[in-house]
Amino acid sequence: MTAEAAKQLDPILEELRSIVGESNASAAKHIRYAYSYDMSFVDPKMPDYVVMATEVEQIQEIMRFANQEKIPVVPYTAGTNIGGLCIPERGGILLDLKRMNKIIDIDPLDGVAVIEPGVSHAKLADALFPLGLRFGWPVGPPSASVSSCAISHGIGGLNARYGLQSQEITSMEVVLPTGELVRVGSCAIQKDAWHSTLPMPKLDGLFKGWLGTTGVVTKLGVNVHPAPPLLKIFTVSCETVEDMYSYMLNLSNYEICDDITAVSWWLSQVPIPYPYKPKPDDAAEWNSYATTFSWTEKERDARQEIWEKVVAEEQAKGTSVQVTHYPEEALRGRTQLPSQVVGSTKNYCKQGGAGISWPGTFTPAKKWAPVYTRWKDILIGRNLSPSVRMSMYRGVHYGMLRAMIPFNKQSKEETENARQAIIECLRVDLDEGGIPYKPPVDFAKEINKRADQGYLMLLKRVKEMLDPNDIMNPGKLGI
Amino acid sequence: MQWNIPSLEELEHYIWRCTACGTCRVAYDFGPPATCGEICPSGSEFGFEGYMASKGKIAFARGILDGTLDLADPEFLEAIYKCTICAGCQSQCQLDHKPYIPEIFEAMRRKAVESGVGPLPLQKNLLQSMKSYNNPYQGPRRLRTDWTRPFKKAKKPIKNLNKEPAEIMFFVGCTGAFNKQAQGIPQATASIFQKLGLDFGILGESEVCCGSTAMRVGDAEEFKRVAEHNLNLFRQMADEKGVKTIITSCAGCYRAIKKDYCLSADYDKLMDGIEVIHTADYLHRLWQEGKLPLQNAVEGTFTYHDPCHTGRHLNKFIIDEDGSELWPGAYLELSEEDCLYDQPRELLAAIPGVEVVEMKRVRANSYCCGGGGGVMTGFGDWATKNAGKRISEGVEAGASDMVSICPFCHYNLNAGAKSIGSAMKLYDLTELIDRALPEK
Repeated sequence: MTAEAAKQLDPILEELRSIVGESNASAAKHIRYAYSYDMSFVDPKMPDYVVMATEVEQIQEIMRFANQEKIPVVPYTAGTNIGGLCIPERGGILLDLKRMNKIIDIDPLDGVAVIEPGVSHAKLADALFPLGLRFGWPVGPPSASVSSCAISHGIGGLNARYGLQSQEITSMEVVLPTGELVRVGSCAIQKDAWHSTLPMPKLDGLFKGWLGTTGVVTKLGVNVHPAPPLLKIFTVSCETVEDMYSYMLNLSNYEICDDITAVSWWLSQVPIPYPYKPKPDDAAEWNSYATTFSWTEKERDARQEIWEKVVAEEQAKGTSVQVTHYPEEALRGRTQLPSQVVGSTKNYCKQGGAGISWPGTFTPAKKWAPVYTRWKDILIGRNLSPSVRMSMYRGVHYGMLRAMIPFNKQSKEETENARQAIIECLRVDLDEGGIPYKPPVDFAKEINKRADQGYLMLLKRVKEMLDPNDIMNPGKLGI
Repeated sequence: MQWNIPSLEELEHYIWRCTACGTCRVAYDFGPPATCGEICPSGSEFGFEGYMASKGKIAFARGILDGTLDLADPEFLEAIYKCTICAGCQSQCQLDHKPYIPEIFEAMRRKAVESGVGPLPLQKNLLQSMKSYNNPYQGPRRLRTDWTRPFKKAKKPIKNLNKEPAEIMFFVGCTGAFNKQAQGIPQATASIFQKLGLDFGILGESEVCCGSTAMRVGDAEEFKRVAEHNLNLFRQMADEKGVKTIITSCAGCYRAIKKDYCLSADYDKLMDGIEVIHTADYLHRLWQEGKLPLQNAVEGTFTYHDPCHTGRHLNKFIIDEDGSELWPGAYLELSEEDCLYDQPRELLAAIPGVEVVEMKRVRANSYCCGGGGGVMTGFGDWATKNAGKRISEGVEAGASDMVSICPFCHYNLNAGAKSIGSAMKLYDLTELIDRALPEK
């Protein structure tokens, strides 16, 4: 077939191939099929085209073309989210960024790494280790994208010290839906300065938490931190969520930990039981691990002294807190990050079969106990394990509250049961003031129902300003 | 003969155990130090998600089973053959389908062959050759013993088991016999055996392909034909010629006889009293017993490349068959006791003058040379290109040359070195050991 004949047959494909090369754009069904689903309950939908870009200029050209032709574009790095975020709602072009995977720079003096969107946590960990640096690895697969996690407000193992991954972002380079290349943060003023989004207006907010609907992040600066050599993990158990909340609140006030997390008995199992099974009578309902890193043994001992004081105070209050052993494999998985054991792998999914999704929220810590109690009723009522995690964020009394829900994706009934349960849980949390993160479309609708009209108006206005033809991952915001 | 070779439909339950989490995409080890690298030659080369590790290929399998994808589509057919079946992705996976990952890939190919569309045209030539000549190289039977000419010339003939008894059968394999660039491997093996005074023989012109290649490209019927012939022959040789041990220097033959042949219901009966062992493992055993005098110096800095077929392909997966620990069919853990990771390294290090350096991706995370799974036949350029990447990794590790224990890796990695203009050479371990052993 001549090039002209091919262009007449599928002019969009030919245009895309002219931008990225013959072998990097496809409309073949088997290529598109592999992007049609993820781990979540979201119904599979295929893109019309898949394109792999390797250069920023290619992305600009793709966006200009798509904007001109009003074709949806869905950015994709590793597809490891559990909210259907990269499943195309309206077909279009799936823009696969996995080949843009260069670590452009690691500057130990500034404490900044500059990366492309396809850089995985495993790759960054490999590069940081010899430099004695670290990052807040999440409990996702090692192949998950650092950039996508960060711009989607993902969480990580340094949350209690440094905050969310998105709070570690120092600068960005972004291709807008209309094809222009922009920068935000210090690199916007001096191209090699990637150290901070401050003190300028924080325009990085235009691209964080938008679920890929406002632009394609092509370079990202993130803080990386010196890695102290001595790890100490404080582990306790409690009989009730209220007692665990009390302990975590108390411990977080001292700001000695990098991660303060508690998980229900069901989540501490590897794997999460599916379907629900009752916890043994002699097992505590909650287990907590709190990690603390020190430079010297004396510092470590001082941290330990504080922790022991907290435990003594909690016991004096009459709570059920006990110093205990955390289940070994789960503890190793959660503290040796990135990990192949925890996250969307063995810990979460092994027993359910193919499916995992969640109500994942940021919720005030004082609401954790009432929300968990309601969630437990909902989930057990649907024969699902109340596998819940609570984590404190940096120096404040709110944090992540989520339930990881495995399900058998081969069964439509079981998938729908999980979806219904998750939506019910979400409603409870929203009504208590929690906010879901990385939300699937079902969640967005629930959020928007409760949203201030002024907020929605502003959201739409910003979206229209950046993406006048609504081509970037359309439909994901539920507006 | 009854065989337990599952269809794609029979594996559907396991296909649905894959969550598409993508853990399989990266060779990762927490360490410390943390290390990571690409593990999937197909994903590395073609990029699209469907080509990427087990996550992608299981998407293909799902698509076939739900009727969305059609094997009669030539582009899709080609896609299912763009995989070296190296099992690197399998090493990363943590879920219940882990033990079945290569089987799922091969079951897609079997379905393609059964439906008359597979394998790819070049691979069909290979299968036709097996039917015509009992080897995939279109080599007439009389050429199968060409590699023995130096022994005849030196008046050190090798026993023909069809005529004389011997305790050891040296199963040469088609690549070592017919591929001129790999003929040094059986020659070195036989030389070692002679230097050690072992009682061994070969099947000569009557040796028949092990069937590995047919199995890898999905022709189960052709595999079964040669496997049944070989299993019966092995029994006959044991009963009539006193063969107790079958030794091979070919990783593909070893994997086939050791693992694929076990799918026969008659395996235990036919192989009763016969040990199957790779040359490297056998020599390692002798070395441990002090019976392998590695005396001559072989100067050089070498790195060892783990072939897939003598490494992770030999993993034993512990499965909760009756559900007493987790649930029926749950994957519990794996044992690497059959994987030849340490033996070749220890032998290599024991050769005087040899300095050993390690590449980053080794053992279970070894990066495939790119030649397996029918790729060298179906996509020769890609196989060579991939081998060039592996050679580059060896160069980065500081090695002057590379060592392995597989004729396929041997051929492909040498081609890869040439393609990138590298002076690095791939040696089979037997070639170095032969040099290190004094003449008898």
